[in-house]
Amino acid sequence: MSCVAKLSDMVSGFHIPGSGDADTNALQLGFSPEVILYPETVEEISRVLDFASRNGIRIFPFAGGTKLFLGNPVSTIGAALSLKRLCRVLFHEPSDMVSTVECGMEIREFQKIIGRENQVFPVDPPRLACGATIGGLVSTNLCGPMSSRYGTCRELILGAKAVRADGEIINLGGKVVKNVAGYDIPKLMVGSLGTLCVLAEVTFRLYPRQPSSRTLVVGFDDHDSCSRAARSILNADVIPTCFEILDEKLSSEFSATRGAKRSVLLRLDSFEDAVVEQIKQVKEITSGESASFVETDDEFSRDLWDSVREFPFSNEVSFSSKLTLPIEDSIKVLYDIESASELSGVEVRCLSRPIRGIVLVSVSGESSRAHGTAHFLENLADVLGGRIMFSGIRHELREKIKTWGNFGEALLLMKNIKRRFDPGNILPGEKIFDAD
Amino acid sequence: MRSQTSKRTGEWKSRIASELIEILGTDAVISSEDELIAYESDGLTGYRVKPVFVVLPSSTEQVSQVVKLCNREEMPFVPRGAGTGLSGGALPSREGIVVSLSRMNRILEVDIPNRVVVVEPGVVNISVTNAVSAEGFYYAPDPSSQIVCTIGGNVAENSGGVHCLKYGVTTNHVLGVEMVLPDGAIVKLGGMTLESFGYDLLSLVVGSEGLLGIVTKVFLRIIKKPQMVKTLFASFERIEDAGASVSAIISSGVIPAGMEIMDNLSINAVESTVGAGYPTDAGAILLVELDGPGAEVNVQTPTVSEILKGNGAIEIKVAVDENERQLFWKGRKSAFAAMGRISPGYYVQDGVIPRSSLARVLGEIGELGKRYGLRVANVFHAGDGNLHPLVLYDPEIKGESEKAEELSGEILRVCVDAGGSITGEHGVGFDKKRFLPLMFSEQEIDTMNLVRCAFDEKGLCNPGKVFPTPRTCVEPGMQNHSSKPPPKEMGEFF
Repeated sequence: MSCVAKLSDMVSGFHIPGSGDADTNALQLGFSPEVILYPETVEEISRVLDFASRNGIRIFPFAGGTKLFLGNPVSTIGAALSLKRLCRVLFHEPSDMVSTVECGMEIREFQKIIGRENQVFPVDPPRLACGATIGGLVSTNLCGPMSSRYGTCRELILGAKAVRADGEIINLGGKVVKNVAGYDIPKLMVGSLGTLCVLAEVTFRLYPRQPSSRTLVVGFDDHDSCSRAARSILNADVIPTCFEILDEKLSSEFSATRGAKRSVLLRLDSFEDAVVEQIKQVKEITSGESASFVETDDEFSRDLWDSVREFPFSNEVSFSSKLTLPIEDSIKVLYDIESASELSGVEVRCLSRPIRGIVLVSVSGESSRAHGTAHFLENLADVLGGRIMFSGIRHELREKIKTWGNFGEALLLMKNIKRRFDPGNILPGEKIFDAD
Repeated sequence: MRSQTSKRTGEWKSRIASELIEILGTDAVISSEDELIAYESDGLTGYRVKPVFVVLPSSTEQVSQVVKLCNREEMPFVPRGAGTGLSGGALPSREGIVVSLSRMNRILEVDIPNRVVVVEPGVVNISVTNAVSAEGFYYAPDPSSQIVCTIGGNVAENSGGVHCLKYGVTTNHVLGVEMVLPDGAIVKLGGMTLESFGYDLLSLVVGSEGLLGIVTKVFLRIIKKPQMVKTLFASFERIEDAGASVSAIISSGVIPAGMEIMDNLSINAVESTVGAGYPTDAGAILLVELDGPGAEVNVQTPTVSEILKGNGAIEIKVAVDENERQLFWKGRKSAFAAMGRISPGYYVQDGVIPRSSLARVLGEIGELGKRYGLRVANVFHAGDGNLHPLVLYDPEIKGESEKAEELSGEILRVCVDAGGSITGEHGVGFDKKRFLPLMFSEQEIDTMNLVRCAFDEKGLCNPGKVFPTPRTCVEPGMQNHSSKPPPKEMGEFF
């Protein structure tokens, strides 16, 4: 019996690629493991990793398989470990606004369940509508427009049950919103792309649902007036749940404000009177900037936010990138990026999330020109003291564009952490670390 | 860590002193017995250890050189801020150095457009808010010691405060740090941006209780002052009703900036000291502070008022002006100090419980107090379930302080049994390390040690804290079972 076949005996279900019905999620893996394992309990995961680490079998954990485009491609993998059968809400105490959920559960499903108690799990990452899971959310730390108010899942995670690469089951953090006992290892798991542990369960803090919600779209004729308005909104006494700035192309494609050079999208959630008052305030402070306003109805705003949420991760482009910048720069750079793309002859789409200092960019064009733009963006992030990440890099550019830009002085410590948690590199460290 | 006792001779000490003076200058190295006394303990004065030296560096470069010297000599070092910590986190290490960051107290940059303030670790918490207040901003984490405690200490302990229910704790407000690692290397983690990529090392450093290195620069997020603040005061016959109000307020969709409960014993202590106007016959009082856009607060205030009424509040007052608001808070803020009026000694705990178990846990704490024959006053951040039971005792009565300490430990057990934590904001430090196994298994504590070893292989940085028993750093791979070596191409990643 081969080692991989022995792994199959340790879990409730498995699938050998090429035999019988394929798992549609696994089809997106981009590599072909010898076996796909479907554990149903954390103990089964523990047995798999214990055996794998003793025998040098590399394991690739995944759940919904909707964000596999993130990070470097993986190399030799023995078994893929699907968490999709761990999909229960294990704990939800409404009066504590805390819930523990298994990592294979779809975020939408989780949101539906806790929604029955009039509570929200305020995340809206890309791929939310097509099966994004709790595990994928935590391990990628991708977020959406609502992060302007609630932060990313880093701000929501309280505890985690995970399995170390050597098979040890660990339960860290807790189930209370305030806790400083020991290192905050659950937060270390956020964004680690499954390279340190296999996450099985996560405990989150929840929020109360706000009684009223409205979306306001403001169109502008030029970059400068939009930037001034954006700064005024940032300094105003309004608390937006979402606050995005779209460039000309996205304004038109998302049907936000056709013909506008820039659009500001705001979502305000609160008590009805407070929402109305805040919208009035935004209109007043931006009206001097030749702005046009649309207060959207429910259906239109839903479509709009769906489009914004998915940007910029598309297969149709040369690459997508996410820049993290100081707040002020995240407003200013839209102009610089747009100008540079006009000069270099590539097609660029750009969105800014100023409260978070995030700029999202998609680039399409001839290979060497697209590469030049990637270089420009990397420099831009560097000069402004920010960071950059690339994803969905088209095949011919993969050798030329580094997924993670520059980790700086943190790289050595990151490698130390990986070496301590997973000395045999059983879990796919190459998603984050380039080969030396 | 290898024992170096034999090396610690008078000759060794004078050689190290010369080297330290060369790095720092004579006025920044303390070695006289008299002067060292001031550094023997932090805010937890029950434990005292005299260090060999205290050094007062003025720059990151000096900290780095001192740490390199400690590394070469395998000499433990303990970073120290204002020394206000309540868990013994800055307790010196025998045969070690205390690195006091008090001279690194400059605000290096105030960047209003980007909403960042860059400070050295010795800057006092309230100074950050003072530096940006005129521009309409403030620094949100507000531990009750904020007029003396320093940002370096806040980062080490991941400090909270009365307003963290809505705004989060220190980890939610630190964008980056520059730090000296335990081998003397200087690294920058994070910076001017809210998000980063790769492993979230910053989340490990914030709250690491000074075990991962010495932070020498901190990038802090500042936020806009709320347009409106309203503070409600309510008194209740039963503390359980005050607790039920807290859950009901949050369930209604309102997240107050802060919610604080005090029980009858605390109310009386405060009234006999500062006279905040609290009703001394009330079972409990609840303070609720609402802030945000005026339009929102104006809607929330009557909503909260109704909830308080519905949960049996005897009296409800909304502060009419800033003076009355300050008066409401005066009692709460002087609660710890007021205990000195009704008891010669007290022991503060910092347990956390789920809000839903508030009534049950308070009942159990009351029972424990009776069983031990000691009074326990309760003051707590009710919104996030962070209890600060104050166990009152008389140090002159033989055995009573030990009894108080034992009772405090029992209270922590009750908190953990309820699904909570042994510490919400004071840290584990030296004081509570023995309770860490109440929350975590050996394997889980070993996992925390993997983090420590990734930063501090020799275990020189603030040893003897957090971990209940000493742990060494085994070479990676050795702590695991004998795994086959990884495929060669995989090994190349490290």
